[in-house]
Amino acid sequence: MEKSRSAKPAVLKKRTADKPLPLEKSSGYKQVMQWLKSGRKKPFKFQTDAWAYYAEGYSGLVNAPTGFGKTFSLFLAVVIDELNKRADPEHSNTVIKSPVPNLQQQIGKDLKEDFKDLAEDFNKKSGNTKKTTNRKKQDAGLKLIWITPLRSLAKDLARAMREVCEELQMDWTVGVRNGDTPQNEKLKQKKQMPEVLIITPESMHLLLAQKSTFNYFEHLQCIVADEWHELLGSKRGVMAELAISRIKGLLKAQHPERLLRIWGISATIGNIEQALDVLVPYEDVLKTIIKADIEKKIVIRSIMPDHIDMLPWAGHLGHKLAHKLLPIIYKSKTTLIFTNTRGQAELWYQTLLAKDENLAGLLAIHHGSIDHELRNWIEESIHTGALKAVVSTSSLDLGVDFKPVDTVVQIGSPKGVARFLQRAGRSGHSPHETSKIYFLPTHALELVEAAAIKEAARTQDIESREPVVMSFDVLIQYLVTLAVGDGFDDEQVFFEVKQTHAFRELLPQEWSWIMQFITTGGDSLTAYNEFSKVSKVDGLWKVESRQIALRHRLHIGTIVSDAMIKVKYLTGGFVGMVEESFVSKMKPGSNFTLAGRVLEFIMIKEMMVLVRKSKQKTAMSPSWMGGRISLTANLGAILRKKYNETLYKQHDDEELDFILPLFQRQAKVSHVPKDDEFLIELINTKDGYHFFAYPFEGRQVHEIMASLVAYRLGRLKPITFSIAMNDYGFELLSEQPIPLDEENIKSLFSPDDLSADIIASINATEMARRKFRDIACISGLVFQGYPGKYVANKHLQSSAALFFNVFSDYDKHNLLLRQAYDEAFYQQIEEPRLAAALHRIQASKVVIVKTDSYTPLCFPIKVDSLRDNMSSEELSQRIERMTAEAEKKNTRKKNDR
Amino acid sequence: MIVECSGEQLVLSKERAVYWRREKMLIISDLHIGKSAHFRKSGIQVPHTVGLTDLQRLTSLVKEYLTEVLLVTGDMFHNNMNSDANAFLEWRSRYPVLKVVLVKGNHDALKNEDYEALGIEVHNKELLCAPFRFIHDKPREFDSYYNITGHVHPGVVIYGRARQQLKFPCFYFAEHCLVMPAFSVFTGLKIVKPEQGDRFYAITPEKVLKV
Repeated sequence: MEKSRSAKPAVLKKRTADKPLPLEKSSGYKQVMQWLKSGRKKPFKFQTDAWAYYAEGYSGLVNAPTGFGKTFSLFLAVVIDELNKRADPEHSNTVIKSPVPNLQQQIGKDLKEDFKDLAEDFNKKSGNTKKTTNRKKQDAGLKLIWITPLRSLAKDLARAMREVCEELQMDWTVGVRNGDTPQNEKLKQKKQMPEVLIITPESMHLLLAQKSTFNYFEHLQCIVADEWHELLGSKRGVMAELAISRIKGLLKAQHPERLLRIWGISATIGNIEQALDVLVPYEDVLKTIIKADIEKKIVIRSIMPDHIDMLPWAGHLGHKLAHKLLPIIYKSKTTLIFTNTRGQAELWYQTLLAKDENLAGLLAIHHGSIDHELRNWIEESIHTGALKAVVSTSSLDLGVDFKPVDTVVQIGSPKGVARFLQRAGRSGHSPHETSKIYFLPTHALELVEAAAIKEAARTQDIESREPVVMSFDVLIQYLVTLAVGDGFDDEQVFFEVKQTHAFRELLPQEWSWIMQFITTGGDSLTAYNEFSKVSKVDGLWKVESRQIALRHRLHIGTIVSDAMIKVKYLTGGFVGMVEESFVSKMKPGSNFTLAGRVLEFIMIKEMMVLVRKSKQKTAMSPSWMGGRISLTANLGAILRKKYNETLYKQHDDEELDFILPLFQRQAKVSHVPKDDEFLIELINTKDGYHFFAYPFEGRQVHEIMASLVAYRLGRLKPITFSIAMNDYGFELLSEQPIPLDEENIKSLFSPDDLSADIIASINATEMARRKFRDIACISGLVFQGYPGKYVANKHLQSSAALFFNVFSDYDKHNLLLRQAYDEAFYQQIEEPRLAAALHRIQASKVVIVKTDSYTPLCFPIKVDSLRDNMSSEELSQRIERMTAEAEKKNTRKKNDR
Repeated sequence: MIVECSGEQLVLSKERAVYWRREKMLIISDLHIGKSAHFRKSGIQVPHTVGLTDLQRLTSLVKEYLTEVLLVTGDMFHNNMNSDANAFLEWRSRYPVLKVVLVKGNHDALKNEDYEALGIEVHNKELLCAPFRFIHDKPREFDSYYNITGHVHPGVVIYGRARQQLKFPCFYFAEHCLVMPAFSVFTGLKIVKPEQGDRFYAITPEKVLKV
């Protein structure tokens, strides 16, 4: 077995079942099993599998449903390994034996000798120092880095791990390091790193931005990326990739013989193998995927109104059904109520309290803009079961194990199967319990989505998460981070960066552009004498200016939000944060809600909003900006099928029976599209000429498709459209009649010349400009400030849009500009999905309906406020026409008087 | 475009400047010389061509209109002397006859000798030149003088049917003051909420347009 494994360096394979493992004979294993037994616990097979692979030096990915002890599958693996090493120092040597041939291949032959010496040396030393007191001196320090995407997870993880260490009588300390960690704790860690460090990707980078960090990782055994599926599809994932590459590189430079294992824990996603490849792209390690053979039972139920007319055609609040929620809350021990936005959460909190005053004190609200002490208190109260229900946003999506929670409610469409199942899993957390989730629709058509999600959950049709690649902004930030820390050697770091999945395709010329960008300020031939950021000191690239270093540390991270400002009671105590733009609308005496409290605005002082408790019962909620999530392809396809089934009653879904009257109404005034049909509605109102189409492909695809069709219509005559869309369809609205008929409809939706037409049609500049907002912040061009922290240097204020213009006009080859366009094209456009949709439309029967009033299907699109423009007219023409219109309006108004 | 203002004829240029014909005076505001260099000094990568473009635009304006006086209503220099400011010094030496007058703004913090060396006549608070008062930010109280100011970087949104909208820098004529657009291309916009009787002249890439 040993032999065959070492012959193949990096293979994905499943362990052949039930052969006795050498691990089982080890004392560490026995100790852990003994401990589990005393707690009447038995490990799942995937857990023992993980321990075995870990013991043999593997890296990999554990895929298991929530509540089955994913944490222990890896944490105990590290513990067993440590226990074995302590009991038998010889053993530690045999454990890392298997990957040795690979290491030799990688590093070269002469290292073989070194390694032998080192191993002998190690044996001698550990032979001499068996006493634990001496052990501490030798290899105290970080053994395990545990990356979590959410701060709120850290506390509970630490608690669980400390328990294990205590009960197994290990002298390990478990530390937490993230934005909430107090400064003195961080200083303590700096003096003596704990053995286990639970950390966010951002804090990992902050750690790298400190001086002499290289010593921290000397004894590191393993890096675990928890909830890896959450990080995978975002730039935070790239941050994790880069940090791992650096730590691996630092360790290798100092102790090339030591083995660093990299493990991930992931929920089920469509591309699990790719997820492993992104986390562990290295060829010199063995890797495997361990999939738990356990299924979590989930019950999904829709909350139905008494009559279909009670549900609005459009909207996203759904509070008309609030009374239906009360019996569910009372029936359950603790209920988590998930909403999609923070504003919605605030509204629901108020609505529920207004419906039932007895809930006061038993109902809480939890979201990202609430002060973290308050959040901690709420989480604590969920643990103890003191709360009956909590209204929350995605802030409670992830893995914290709240034992009392036995019911989950989802308000409004969750937009994707994975997210819905994740949320469902928050209830009935322990193994073999059933998760219970209620779906509360916010408008009538969402009932169809409920039926679709049920089906997707049944068939485990779960989305993929596309990993982010080539984000130069993150790379630039990372390099400056390293320069702020100990400095870096560009050849060494290029080699490390190039190994990551995110920058596999990085070209040397791109690298040198980035190096120039941070050292001389640009790629132009002009020497910018005054530019100062990163410069070479003693052979390493470093940041010398303390001010620049300080500013950089303050904005490490990739989550870009609008400028936030802290809210504080006049008498002391923080409530949370609101956006600056919201505050600017406030006047002394005006009221708003935050964290479920009605607050009266007093003043802004030292970048803080001072408030007192208001006497009023209700007030407006602040609106927080946030991206809208698009319906996934998986869900879209099932949705179309469900539309079909509704009309023909070929289903067992109560939701579809319920919504039938609405479909009949739609059939009466317009038409209900069948699976093989494509519906177009042309509606003429006083707003102008509306063109509605329903591909059911999700907001994002519709945005592009709408622009494409608008562009193709624009070739027939100069015309300007405003575009709106939702997850079901899109609208083109123009003040002129739209040149469209049965004849040209198929050619408008033709997949021919798609790429060329996309490029010509979408306002690529506008899209890129939007993408550039984040890029400018991440790469350090725009300093967004930190919540509540005063932006000291007003002279350096600018906006991403301004930089976008400046680069477009004066620095066309800027890589960040290119990245903005790339992000727009690949993330926003999803060409393959668009092409597939167009092919499907070509094969469908087109149904065009002309009517003069809005239909149930078009109504949600019509009221959507997010709009875009698309024009084939000259700018000057547009301006003239628009001003002429405004003029006409004015004269009309005057005449009316 | 030529507009009437307090009995005077003012030419509004699409290069974000006003030409007062009677006085042969070119009026601009918020030039922010040295802003890009100041950013670079702090490790933020702004191409230096930005500052040069502003000077080139100024050159062609001075040539286009018969200019004896160049008046800047504040924020001429963004921060302090740097390479961009040196480029201005070089530009200044090419027009020795041109009188340059600055009404100081919140950003203008050069030393007096620096202004002297650049041949700039400085007014700390305001400059009265009937019927106008030139001042950086609009004064608290109004009198018989019509104020010509800057500071705000005003912008205007034009709305059309079918929910269309476009954003431009503008000349903003309120009852007691004209707010000049920021001259520098490296500046942002603040959308102004119109009040009764306000006039806006949007600056589109082609021309100045009353809205």
